[in-house]
Amino acid sequence: MRRHARAFVGVAAVAALALAGCGRESGGGPEQAESVAAGKATGEITVWAMGAEGEKLGAFAREFTAANPDAKVNVTAVPWDAAHQKIASAIAAKQTPDVSMIGTTWQGEFAKTGALDPTPADLIAKDAFFPGAWETTVVDGTAYSVPWYVETRVIFYRKDLAAKAGITKPPASWDELKAMAKAMQAGGAKWGINLQPGKTGSWQSVMPFAWSNGAQVADGTKYTFDSPEMVEALRYYQSFFTEKLAPTELAEGALIPAFVRGDIAAFMSGPWQVSLVNEQGGAGFQEKFAVAPMPKQKTATSFIGGSNLAVFKDAKNRDGAWKFIQWLSRPEVQVKWYQATTDLPAVQSSWQDATLSGDANLKVFGEQLKDAKAPPTFPTWEQVAAVVDTEVEKLAKSGADPAAAAKTIQDKASAIGTGS
Amino acid sequence: MTVLDVKPAAPPSAGGPGPERRARRWRKAVTGWTFAAPFTALFLVFMALPVLASLAMSVTDLRSTDLRNPFAVNFVGLDNYARLFGDELFVRAAVNTLIFVVIGVPLTMVVALAAASALNSGLIRFRAVFRVGFYLPVVTSIVAIAVVWRFLLDPDAGLVDNLLRVIGIEGPNWLGDTRTALPSLIVMAAWRNFGFLMVIFLAGLQGIPQDLYEAATLDGASRWQQFRHVTVPLLRPTLLFGAVITGIGFLQLFEEPFVMTQGGPLSSTLSVSYHIYNQFGFGNYGYAAAAGYVLFVAIVALSVLQFRLLGERD
Repeated sequence: MRRHARAFVGVAAVAALALAGCGRESGGGPEQAESVAAGKATGEITVWAMGAEGEKLGAFAREFTAANPDAKVNVTAVPWDAAHQKIASAIAAKQTPDVSMIGTTWQGEFAKTGALDPTPADLIAKDAFFPGAWETTVVDGTAYSVPWYVETRVIFYRKDLAAKAGITKPPASWDELKAMAKAMQAGGAKWGINLQPGKTGSWQSVMPFAWSNGAQVADGTKYTFDSPEMVEALRYYQSFFTEKLAPTELAEGALIPAFVRGDIAAFMSGPWQVSLVNEQGGAGFQEKFAVAPMPKQKTATSFIGGSNLAVFKDAKNRDGAWKFIQWLSRPEVQVKWYQATTDLPAVQSSWQDATLSGDANLKVFGEQLKDAKAPPTFPTWEQVAAVVDTEVEKLAKSGADPAAAAKTIQDKASAIGTGS
Repeated sequence: MTVLDVKPAAPPSAGGPGPERRARRWRKAVTGWTFAAPFTALFLVFMALPVLASLAMSVTDLRSTDLRNPFAVNFVGLDNYARLFGDELFVRAAVNTLIFVVIGVPLTMVVALAAASALNSGLIRFRAVFRVGFYLPVVTSIVAIAVVWRFLLDPDAGLVDNLLRVIGIEGPNWLGDTRTALPSLIVMAAWRNFGFLMVIFLAGLQGIPQDLYEAATLDGASRWQQFRHVTVPLLRPTLLFGAVITGIGFLQLFEEPFVMTQGGPLSSTLSVSYHIYNQFGFGNYGYAAAAGYVLFVAIVALSVLQFRLLGERD
């Protein structure tokens, strides 16, 4: 036993020594981006991309390599489920690819590790992008990536059911949205509207109402959930559940079939639903539904999401990587990428192309993107978002008091901190 | 490791501690360690090191943003542990897990013992068919099971609520109601796990000498008395094994809520493991590691308790 004791003391001593050498360094000022050499891209550029983007980017990049014959783009498709872990491990091992696609809500966390290369301003023009999309790349005043594609939330509604209820134009205000849901429910729909009743990601449905009402979730250094504007927005969101206009429980994958049947007369969601609705609705259904921008309270602000492209500091081919990203964010390439994947362009001028401006539904998304916000890029945002999800579920399902919910969110968010 | 356990043969009585003897002992030690080296190296690198690292992690404020400089973190002592018990969600998860274990383990064991006894006593025909049938959930993927159970428990289309409707009862929304979600998972877990215990218990039952039952029958003991006074006492070591294994498994409850309810509704099925998983996901590595150690201590405590309650009494 004595030997064990000695071994333990040894381990403890080593641990203590190791810890004594630790301690956080106080952060310096904002990082400055280095510029990128002129000329064509050369060498191998390794890229990680998730989901459908990962599958399609390899073939799509052939045009880039045709214009830059000395460069080779090597795309690795990473499944979404494993992506966060894989990127985190790569950063820890300092074995990163040159470029990776990054979910907008991961930006703060990865940028704070110091693993991302600041975006060179001479190569990428900030003004070309939707302001909400650009915001997602900025951490502590420095941009660390480039928006690639975007998505935003709008209202989908059954035009035919609305017309039957005497409503001929899309809801323009909060009151009109509520009135429309009521009218369509009175007209026979089981539910007037579907809003996400809590669970993962419901904050993305709630935040647009909060932002539209003038609430801010953070002021740059701390979270600010507990405001009268926020409480009012939560109360409005909750009213759809307390007035039995929206279901508090909806099985996965049940939304679109219910919408097609007319059981759910409206819902709030993103661009990927358009093709799903058309697919499940069949021929002629296109005439029966429409999308409308968020209704206006003080503003008509929605949520902006999507993915960014970042270059790592440990990249072996930094210049080539930035040149590839620069190519991907050209307006004409963004339009082509939309045609290949239906990913909405993050570059504003791409939307003037007839491919996008010619479609009535897409136009609504394009307009909404001009007034769409992203959550703060704090590394702790995902954790705070989970708190919001929990409180939203309480609002929707157990009739919690909105003021208490806002206070709880604020208390927990303060305890979690901004991670800086 | 066996190499190390071999005691050296009794030293020859003649001759004191000479240099040759020391050299021989040294050689023996070297040989022993050489044989043990591959295991020792693997154990140190892949078991001891991560365990020590996670223990060290649990007393720091390591977060995912420290990935590039994992040593540039602050030492926070037991702060993470103190925060855990003030964390409303962790307490909720601990209570849920406790309920799951306290009801789930005995339920699973009783069902398993009943099935094993029935199969063993010959009450049931087509024994092999039942044995396979009861064991099937154990080897089936949890994802497939989750799909089937979600269908069964669906409030509109589900078999359970439709059967209840036939007899005039409006069944609850099993997985969507805070009162029924956890009990639903307990029943599902018992159904999924009892097959494994049943096989173990069956082996235990077959190890009980038949003549004990004959003697008991001659003494006029009823079937229940035989079960109570012959089967259960002789099965005690097997029961202990079953209780410990099931207890460890159930304390680590994760898959069921992960695939069925995502911890909802309103955190009513959030388990400790799930909470740890979430915290790792949020990048709170230090905090999550501390929670992991709390769970580890709870598992050890439960196992010790079970050994006390069910172990050999002398």
